[in-house]
Formats: sequence, structure tokens, C-alpha cells
Amino acid sequence: MSDKKQLLFGKFGRQRKLRAQICAEGDRLYRIAWSWCHDSHQADDLVQETLARALTKIDSLREEGRLQVWLTQILANLFRDHIRRIQPETGLEADILATSGGPEDAAERSQLIVQTRQAIESLKEDQRQVLTLVDIAEFSYADTASILGVPVGTVMSRLSRARQRMRTILEQQGVGRAAVIPLRKPR
Amino acid sequence: MNSDNDLELNAFADGELSEEQQAELLEAMRNDPDLARRACELGQLKASLRLAYADPPRPSRPRVATRRNRWQAVAAGFMLLALGLASGWVLHANAPGLGLDTSRFVVFDPDGQGQLPAVAGGNETRIVFHLTNPDQTVAGELLDDVEAMLTAYQADGRPLRVEVVSHSEGLDLLRERLSRHKDRIHSLAGQFSNLTFVACQNTINRLKVERGIEVRLVPDAEIIDSGVSHVVKRQKQGWSYIRV
Repeated sequence: MSDKKQLLFGKFGRQRKLRAQICAEGDRLYRIAWSWCHDSHQADDLVQETLARALTKIDSLREEGRLQVWLTQILANLFRDHIRRIQPETGLEADILATSGGPEDAAERSQLIVQTRQAIESLKEDQRQVLTLVDIAEFSYADTASILGVPVGTVMSRLSRARQRMRTILEQQGVGRAAVIPLRKPR
Repeated sequence: MNSDNDLELNAFADGELSEEQQAELLEAMRNDPDLARRACELGQLKASLRLAYADPPRPSRPRVATRRNRWQAVAAGFMLLALGLASGWVLHANAPGLGLDTSRFVVFDPDGQGQLPAVAGGNETRIVFHLTNPDQTVAGELLDDVEAMLTAYQADGRPLRVEVVSHSEGLDLLRERLSRHKDRIHSLAGQFSNLTFVACQNTINRLKVERGIEVRLVPDAEIIDSGVSHVVKRQKQGWSYIRV
């Protein structure tokens, strides 16, 4: 096989592996997208578009170890470009209230879940993004900074303000300090 | 609340402190119950966020496939495209040596100009045209090609199925108010039972959400959930794919 073909096939082999990895990130990206917009249709569209872009721009991924950061960057850019222009749809409340778990689990956890989601929704968008990237997606400060294109110091100050605000709102909603997490009885 | 202290506490809760810094803070907590309580609250807040978003609701609209399948299908589509391109290159460079069966590969023809359609199985030729171009002159030329092809196949008695999937800006062709080819679509659809016009529901939804447009389609259009998923499905079923 000529060098040129070797190169080509090597490239496609790498791309095949990356494609599979990219597609496996769908659920994770959906969780992030949904925490930003609280709208399942928008979140779904965002994720589809993120994956489609990632698959066509696979060559621009320099470090494979940073796949999740790279994908989330694409998602954040799309979110910034598109979602801000869109009027919030009606029916947001219904989406916040929804869970797809079993009915018993949902009943047990629903109040806390709904209150937490409502508190998240009342945050400013930049604070909400930082908080969800750190707490839900579990990115480091450095990765969060790189995803959003801001300095690490900005991530830290937004995070601190977001959490202060969350605490205030949750306390107003009557989620007592001691009862933030209801411990589940061992079965 | 001391602001520096607050940033440090947050970094502690997020596992961003060095071991040395952690040890210092833990020592400080021992002598300061309020500091310890705040650190604990941050941990609780993090846990409640993870719980609140562990299982977000999924879109309620009906789906052609499940989410996971669909994402995999999108990937599969890209893979087929890559394969098609690669095989084209390889065949062009060295066809006899590799002995590849060209009919197994998807024809990818971004310009919609002249490649022989792949035969998908049996004798029936199946082609999906994926229309994303907003230019209705282009759409008109597509209809010319489709009609010529349907007529030629019918005359020879060769089986053929054609789908025109309009998606994104290509949807205009099937919009009652915007289509310049309504009558032609109606007459073609009436004349050829093996021709289907398909509109993408995702595009319709997007127009509604983004621009408040209530799309009305021409009566001959069928609706599928997602144009992308549909063309990917067709490719997996062995249809030739031609993007316009």
C-alpha cells in the first residue's frame, strides 16, 4: 500500500473510533443542554446539531483526550448563537416538572427536583452555565473556562455568586439547610 | 461573607485545591463550625443539582427511532458518506486490484449531477433525493430529472422508487404558500405512484419556534419526523442518496 493510501486509511480508522466516541456522548450533552434551556425539544435539536457539526469537523479535534471539552464547546457556541434569539416557548413549567423515572421515585424526589430546577432557572444565564458545567457535567474550572471562553477567575466568581443565589432561593422556598438532601433509607 | 474565603470554600467543594490547601482549610474548619457548615452546604447543593438533572425529560413528540438509535443512525450516515467517498477515491485509483463491489456503496453526489444510481436489491432502483437548497429553480430542475427518470423507467418496465425529502431551507418546495411547483408536484404525484414527496417535521417545528411560522404543506406531501434520520435510514436500507 502506498504511503498516501496508508495515510488515508489510518485517518479513517481514527475517525471511525472517534465517531463512535462522539455518539456515545449524546446523553451527556443532552443533560447539559437541557439544564441550560429547560426545553426538551430545543435541547434535542442542540445536541443533534452539536453531534452533526462534530462529525463533520472531526479533523479540528487536536487532542482526543479532550473530546468532552471540545464537544461541550461546540454545544456552548451553538447555544449562544441560536437559543438567545428564540423566545421561550410556553409549557416550560411542564418541562421542569417532568421526570422520566418511575412514578415512585418521581414522587419521592420530585419536590426537591422541581425546586432545584426552578432555582437554576432563576439564575442569570452565565451563572447557570458555569454552575451546571461544574456540578452536573463535573468539568474542572480550567475546562469550564475553556468551554465558555472566559478566564478561570471569572468561572470562580460566577460560581460563587450562582451558589449564593441558589442558597437564597432554596431557603426562600422552604428547603431548610438540614433538609437539602433527604437521605434515603437503606433497603 | 468574606469573598476570598468563599471562593476558596467553593474550590474546596469542587476538588480544585491542592493537598496542602485542603489540609489548611480542614484545619481551619476544625476551629470554625460555621466554616465547616458552609462547606457541607456546598456539598449538599452540588449533590442536589446532580440529582435534579440526572434524568431530564425527553422530547414528547413521536420519534421515528429512539434517541440513542437516532444518534447512532446519524453517525452511521456520516460513516457511509465517508465510505462512499473513500471507495470512490480508491476505485478511481485502483479499482481492479481491490475487487470491490461498487453496488454496495452509497452514491454520494453533492451536486446532484450524473452518477449512476446504485441498485439496492432485487431489480428495483431506489433513490432518495435530499433537497436542502432554497433555490426553487434548482428544485424545478430536480423535478425535471425526476420526471425524466420516472418516465424512462416506466417505459422500459424497470422498477423504480423515488423519494424527494425536503428539509431545512429545501422545505419551501412543499410549502403551500411558497412553492412555485405546486401544480407540477400534484400532477407528478398523481401520475407516478412510485414517487413520494416527504417533508421534515423538525424543520416545520423550528420555523414555528424561531419565526412563529405555521407551515402549511401542499396536499401531496407526507410528513416524517426528521429529514436527517429519514435519509440515513434510507441509506441503511440500501437506497442511493443524492443531495440537492
